Amino acid sequence: MNGRKWASALYVTFSVTFLLLGWELLSLAVNNPALPGPLPALTAFFRELAGGLWGHFLVSSYRVVISLVISLVLAVPCGMVMGREEKVDRLVAPLIYIIYPVPKIVFLPVLMVLLGIQDASKITLITLVVFFQILVPIRDAARGINPDLVNSVKSLGARRRDIYLHVVWPAVLPEVLTSLRIASGTAIAVLFFSETISSQEGLGYYLLDAWSRAVYTEMFAGIIAMSLLGFIIYTVLEHLERWACPWKYV
Amino acid sequence: MSANGELMVRVRGLSVSYQQQNKEIPALRDVSFSVPKGSTCALIGPSGCGKSTLLYVLSGLLRSWSGEVLVDGAPVTSCRRQTALILQDYGLLPWKKVYDNVALGLDIRGESREKKYIKVKRVLNEVGLWEMRQRYPSQLSGGQRQRTGIARALALEPDLLLMDEPFSSLDALTREKLQRQLLEIWQEKRMTVVLVTHSIEEAIFLGQRIILLSGSPGRVLDIVENPRVGEAGYRKTAEFHALTTKLREKLVPERVEISGGAGRWK
Ligand SMILES: Nc1ncnc2c1ncn2[C@@H]1O[C@H](COP(=O)(O)OP(=O)(O)OP(=O)(O)O)[C@@H](O)[C@H]1O
Ligand SMILES: [Mg+2]
Repeated sequence: MNGRKWASALYVTFSVTFLLLGWELLSLAVNNPALPGPLPALTAFFRELAGGLWGHFLVSSYRVVISLVISLVLAVPCGMVMGREEKVDRLVAPLIYIIYPVPKIVFLPVLMVLLGIQDASKITLITLVVFFQILVPIRDAARGINPDLVNSVKSLGARRRDIYLHVVWPAVLPEVLTSLRIASGTAIAVLFFSETISSQEGLGYYLLDAWSRAVYTEMFAGIIAMSLLGFIIYTVLEHLERWACPWKYV
Repeated sequence: MSANGELMVRVRGLSVSYQQQNKEIPALRDVSFSVPKGSTCALIGPSGCGKSTLLYVLSGLLRSWSGEVLVDGAPVTSCRRQTALILQDYGLLPWKKVYDNVALGLDIRGESREKKYIKVKRVLNEVGLWEMRQRYPSQLSGGQRQRTGIARALALEPDLLLMDEPFSSLDALTREKLQRQLLEIWQEKRMTVVLVTHSIEEAIFLGQRIILLSGSPGRVLDIVENPRVGEAGYRKTAEFHALTTKLREKLVPERVEISGGAGRWK
C-alpha cells in the first residue's frame, strides 16, 4: 500500500517535470515573448494571485460550479425518467435529438440580450451545454438497467418510488459523475469564451486583457489559473466518484 | 401451517404469449397444475419452454396472460407480500452490501431499524453469512451470492418461495450443499417452494411434485409425484435412480421427436 503511494507520487513528479521541461524547451525554441518559459510564467502567476487574479479566479469558479450544479439537478431526474418511462421518452426523445447537435454556444448573443452581460447569461449558456452532455448518458444508463434486477426488487414489493431510489439512482450514479467530469472540460471552454465577450471579470476577461496589453507573462498567469480550475474540478469529481460509488472500487 | 388438502398454487388453462415487433410469440399454452400448501414443486423442461415465464406469472410481475391463476385461493397480484421470487443471477443490487441487500424488502415495507436488524441477523445466521454482511456482492462467491438471495427472500417470511434455476451456476459440491440447506430451511418453515431447474437430479432431490414441460410453446408433458423428498440419504436410494431414468426417458425422446419437426431450433 505504502509502496504504491510512493510509486504514484513518483509518477506524478515525473510527469510534472516532463511537462515543465517540454514547456521550457518549447519556449526556448520559439524564442518569442508571447511564449514565456515556466519560470517567468509561474512567477507572474504567484505575483498576480496576490493582486487581482484571485478575484477573477473566484468569479470564474463560481460560474462553472453553479452551472454544473444546475445542470446536474435538471439533467439527472430528466435522464432517469426518460430512461425508465417509455411514454415520456417517446414524447421527448425526438426533441432532444434535434437540440443535441446544435452548437449551443451560438446562443450567447441571444442570452446576453435577454439576460444581460452579468453572471446569468454565462451560467445559462454553460448549463445549456452541460445539461445535454450529461442527459443523454444518464438516459442510456437508466434504460440499460437489467430488467431482472428491476423485477427482483419489484417482487420484494417495491413501488415506482422504491425502484427509482434503490435501483435507478444508484445504477446511473457512476455515469452521472463520469459524464460530469468529461463535461467539465467543455464547461470551462464555454466559460472562457463567454468571459472574453463584453465581460469585466473572470479569468477569460483577465486573459484577454493581458493579451491586449501585450503582457504575456500575465496572460500565462491567467492560463495557469484556468488550467488549475479545470484540474481542481476534474480531481474533485474523480474523488467524489470514489466516495459515492464505493462498490465500484472493491 | 399446512391445512390438509389446501392448495397454495392453482393454475388452470394458463396461456402466455409475448408481443415482439407486432408478432405474437407463444410461450406457454394451456398449462394446468397445482401445488399443495407447504410442499415443494420442481418445474423442468428444455430451454425456452417458458419456465421463467411461468414463475413471472406466479409472482404477479407478468400480467398479460389468459387462464386462471390462484395463489392461496386468491387471483394472483404483484402486491402479494408473502410471495418471494429469487431470480438466477441478477437478484442482488451491486451497490448494496450484503446486509442492505437482505434488508431491502424490509426497507421497502418500512420496518423499523431495530426490527430490521433482528430479522436480517436471524436470516443471515441461518444461511451462515452474518460474518459477510459488510461485503458487496462482487466480493462474494457464487454460492454466497445465492445464499444472500435466499436470505433476502426469507427475511420477508414468505409462505411461497419461487426460485428460478437457483443453483445452476454453482459447482457440483456447492450445489449439493445448498440444495440440502434449502431442504432444511423448507422442513423447518414448511413454506411452499416452486423451483425451476434444468437438472433432473435437482428436480428429484427437491421436488415433491415434478412438472415436466415440453418445448415451445410450453405445455405440461407429465406430472410426477415424488413423496420421498427430504428423507435422509434419498439421493443414494435405488428409487431415486429409477426416477432419474424415468424422467430422462420422458424428457429425452421428446427432444428427438420434436427436433425432427419444425421450429425448435429457430
Ligand atoms: N420479453 C420477452 N419478449 C419476447 N419473447 C420472450 C420474452 N421473454 C421470453 N420470451 C420467449 O418466451 C419463451 C419462454 O421463455 P422463458 O424465459 O420463460 O424460457 P425458460 O424455460 O425459462 O428458458 P431457460 O431454461 O433458457 O431459462 C422463449 O421462447 C423466449 O424466447
Ligand atoms: Mg429461464
